[in-house]
Amino acid sequence: MKLTALLLATTYYVTIAGLGGEPDYEQRFTTWAQEIDKILKSGAGDAKVETLYGPAATRAGLRSLLERIAREAGPQDLLVLMLIGHGSFDGADYKINLPGPDISAVELAGLLDRIPAGRQLVVNMTSASGASILALEKSNRVVIAATKSGTERNATVFPRYWVEALRDPAADTDKNEVITALEAFRYADRKTAGFYESQKRLATEHPLLEDTGKGEGVRAPSPENGQGLVAATFPLVRFGDAQRLAQDPVKRKLLVKREELEQQIDRLKYQKAALPAEEYRKQLAALLLELAKTQAELDK
Amino acid sequence: MRIKYSLVLLWCFPLAAQTPDSCRDLSRRGRLSEAAGCFQKLAASSNPYWRAEGFWGLERYDEANEQFRAAVKLEPKNASYRVRWGRLLLERFNPPEAESLFEEALAISKNHPGALLGLALVAAEGFESKAVELAEKAALADPKLVDARELLAALALEDSNPQRAIEESDKALVISKEALGAMAIRATIDWLNDRSETPWLNRILAVNPVCGGVYATAGRFFVLNRRYEEGVRFYRKALELSPRLWEARSELGVNLMRLGQDEEARQHLELCYRNYYRNAATGNSLRLLDSYKNFVTLKSDNTILKLHKKEAELLEPYLEAELKRAIRTYEQKYKMRLTQPVQVEVFPDHEDFAVRTLGMPGLGALGVSFGYSVAMDSPSARKPGSFHWASTIWHELSHVFVLTATRHRVPRWFTEGVAVHEETAVSPDWGDRISPDVILAIQEKKLLPVAHLDRGFVRPSYPAQVPVSYFQAGRICDYIARQWGDEKLLDMIHSFAQVKTTPEVVEQQLGLKPEEFDRRFLAWLETDTRKTVQGFAEWNKRLRALAELAKAAKHDEVIREGLAIRDLYPDYVEAGSVYEFLAGAYLAKNDRAAAAAELERYAAIGGRNPATLKRLATLLEELGRKKEAAAALSRLNYIYPMDEELHRRLGDLWLEEGNVQGAIVEYRAVVALKPLDQAASHFSLAKAYRAASQLDQAREHLLLALEAAPGYKPAQKLLLELSQ
Repeated sequence: MKLTALLLATTYYVTIAGLGGEPDYEQRFTTWAQEIDKILKSGAGDAKVETLYGPAATRAGLRSLLERIAREAGPQDLLVLMLIGHGSFDGADYKINLPGPDISAVELAGLLDRIPAGRQLVVNMTSASGASILALEKSNRVVIAATKSGTERNATVFPRYWVEALRDPAADTDKNEVITALEAFRYADRKTAGFYESQKRLATEHPLLEDTGKGEGVRAPSPENGQGLVAATFPLVRFGDAQRLAQDPVKRKLLVKREELEQQIDRLKYQKAALPAEEYRKQLAALLLELAKTQAELDK
Repeated sequence: MRIKYSLVLLWCFPLAAQTPDSCRDLSRRGRLSEAAGCFQKLAASSNPYWRAEGFWGLERYDEANEQFRAAVKLEPKNASYRVRWGRLLLERFNPPEAESLFEEALAISKNHPGALLGLALVAAEGFESKAVELAEKAALADPKLVDARELLAALALEDSNPQRAIEESDKALVISKEALGAMAIRATIDWLNDRSETPWLNRILAVNPVCGGVYATAGRFFVLNRRYEEGVRFYRKALELSPRLWEARSELGVNLMRLGQDEEARQHLELCYRNYYRNAATGNSLRLLDSYKNFVTLKSDNTILKLHKKEAELLEPYLEAELKRAIRTYEQKYKMRLTQPVQVEVFPDHEDFAVRTLGMPGLGALGVSFGYSVAMDSPSARKPGSFHWASTIWHELSHVFVLTATRHRVPRWFTEGVAVHEETAVSPDWGDRISPDVILAIQEKKLLPVAHLDRGFVRPSYPAQVPVSYFQAGRICDYIARQWGDEKLLDMIHSFAQVKTTPEVVEQQLGLKPEEFDRRFLAWLETDTRKTVQGFAEWNKRLRALAELAKAAKHDEVIREGLAIRDLYPDYVEAGSVYEFLAGAYLAKNDRAAAAAELERYAAIGGRNPATLKRLATLLEELGRKKEAAAALSRLNYIYPMDEELHRRLGDLWLEEGNVQGAIVEYRAVVALKPLDQAASHFSLAKAYRAASQLDQAREHLLLALEAAPGYKPAQKLLLELSQ
């Protein structure tokens, strides 16, 4: 699906911050959830943002919220579920710790399956979250976990950088004013690794991404391992005026032209190794110039 | 460095007929084939202890180990078996188990001389101060124990006390006229004093015509005195006489690496390894040599930089500029020119760097110089803020000059003192600050007399003595420069080059007896540090209270109390400094100017926390003091340049301030860090090149930016502009 088409969809965002156990974690989890809430509400696009933290972040509250979205959302819509907190894995089930009864990955998967949103993203940022991938994965659902397995049980720093990814324009590496799930994952993954490296600490979390619905997740999604294709076109945060432009028929033509040029550039980049360097450069420069002119028209 | 004692001490066992002692004596006299036959017979004996000694003599160490185990099982109360077993393990790179066996022997036989000596040898390997005490106990327990006297002689020479070394050697020679180890020490002392002919050599060769050990001993002491090339020559001579002297061969390999002769080093080390001489130095050095495939070598007219591929592009411009600046400055200051390029190896893995300093007491905290070759940690090898790479370069380059000027004939304290002095001379915030350990050492009067200051580096008697000695040596050189002028340091360098001792140089150049120099220096230091030393306890107590006030957000009280105690110990800029508490309180009261002023004090004294320095830069930017903000960020380039945000911000500031070349350097650093946001990094560099009217480079980086992000609007605009 092209990004231009996705711009017209509604995105449902659900963020839940689980039980901290200690004041420090309680505050940290709540702050991250609140920051996500603030960023999403201030962003562009048709977004419906729901955030649960503190006493409200219960299993019943989350179930009720996801059941409501299941009733409201349509196939063209998108769903983003973000989990923050302490997770646990007993060798069979993954659970996120919530006030009152916890909720398991299997139960969450059942709730998500009932939501008709055609594309879904689950970002499980808790400790031991790697153990939730197999239960949550499904076709057209991107699953991101902060840890590679259920045995990485230490509190994670991944959410800190996920929050950063949502607000840092640097995360938008292709500069199309949309931060995709893949861009945010790569940003947070790199910053998490950098954190441990600069602190000279052994990394206790290794984030994974799975979006084929049948894998165990990978550290570095790429065409070679077949992961990241869905995530690369999953718009997580939009901060430009692309959505407004998509609703104007004249501008829409230019948007289509822009997208075509972008696709030509992508194809050329795939042929880079096969082309003489000078030829590649010449063709690239021409396409980029044309694209710049089209954008200038759009910006008028 | 194991060559030291095991070689020497094996030479001196009393004669006996067809016993382990008699076999060893044949070996000691260089009658190697007879010795081998003798050990062979021992190995075939019915006595497990004898078999153990036989296998050991035949270099069949595993079997020897097994036979010692059997011997001890058979005679569990025989302390001497355990001592000999311990000596085998010590020789075969296992000091912890050797130490246990020596302890067990002492539990069986209190004051067992061999066990005490064994413990002394273990301690000596770790350059522990208790080595001397243990060796003395061993000598007391057995006044005829030649080995103990020889060890004491070696330890004295390590401590730069040749007189005592001669006395102990002579005592050994009184016990046995054929004490080869003692004679080797005497010969070494002659060679260290540039006497090429020594009578001791002939006496040694008369006992053992293939005695490579004497040269190996000399090699070891030359290396300890940083006379690496001569050390290598002695190790070569040792191997000419005794090719199977694996310890010497391994040391030759390690020291060839230090001199940058990697290929030959590999040959020697591999030969050792193939012959089962696999101590830590050999194995780690081979691993380090293997890792060199990941390094690139970048040469200029007077520098050779060896950097890891993953950070070479980032570090090269900064390191090379600083190296050249240091060389220029020192050539002028020391009135000499280097005759060959200086090689600097920079290790992103601290363990690799540690291999370079293996066996060197008190060395290697940050960098180490081996003549024209310098090895150091990369800033990426350490926690951000804990390492100032540029001051390390200046420190090590100072060694290069001092070692070259003195032909490596300089006491440790002086070359370290000059190097520490030079760090501060480049910039006051680069040098050593007075640490709590130093304050305590001053309070407890633990500073050493100048004549014995080397001991503080070689054989520390308390955990912090090495850093305290660095501080003391640096302040001594500060004092000399202040009282007699910088020229006097140069005069002292020239005197040391004449192979004069510290007392002689102090008397000759400063006109004072060493004791009088110590008295005057300590008086000066006391005056200089009095406020901090006297106020330290109070400061310490009140700092804790200050932290509590800050935690409770009592900002006015933090400011009042912080200002009251800040100058009691102004040098303290580590975690939880008064400056940071004050800045936090001022910020809470929205007084950014006062907060910035505190953090500027912090930076000027030498505060190195990247987050704090970046906060300072932000405050200065907010206050419209962009140049000062850029200066604050520039400091960080010398501390932790692996920070993308730092270079991006500094590049932006330089561009804004019109320092286009500075901006190019910083944006190039961003690109070198291979950031996730390739587009923005190339675009910034394109803008800087455009500002510098370097349009080809601007177009190049613009294309790279748009290749990464075709829809990047600011880059598209610049492309349209450049295409017109």
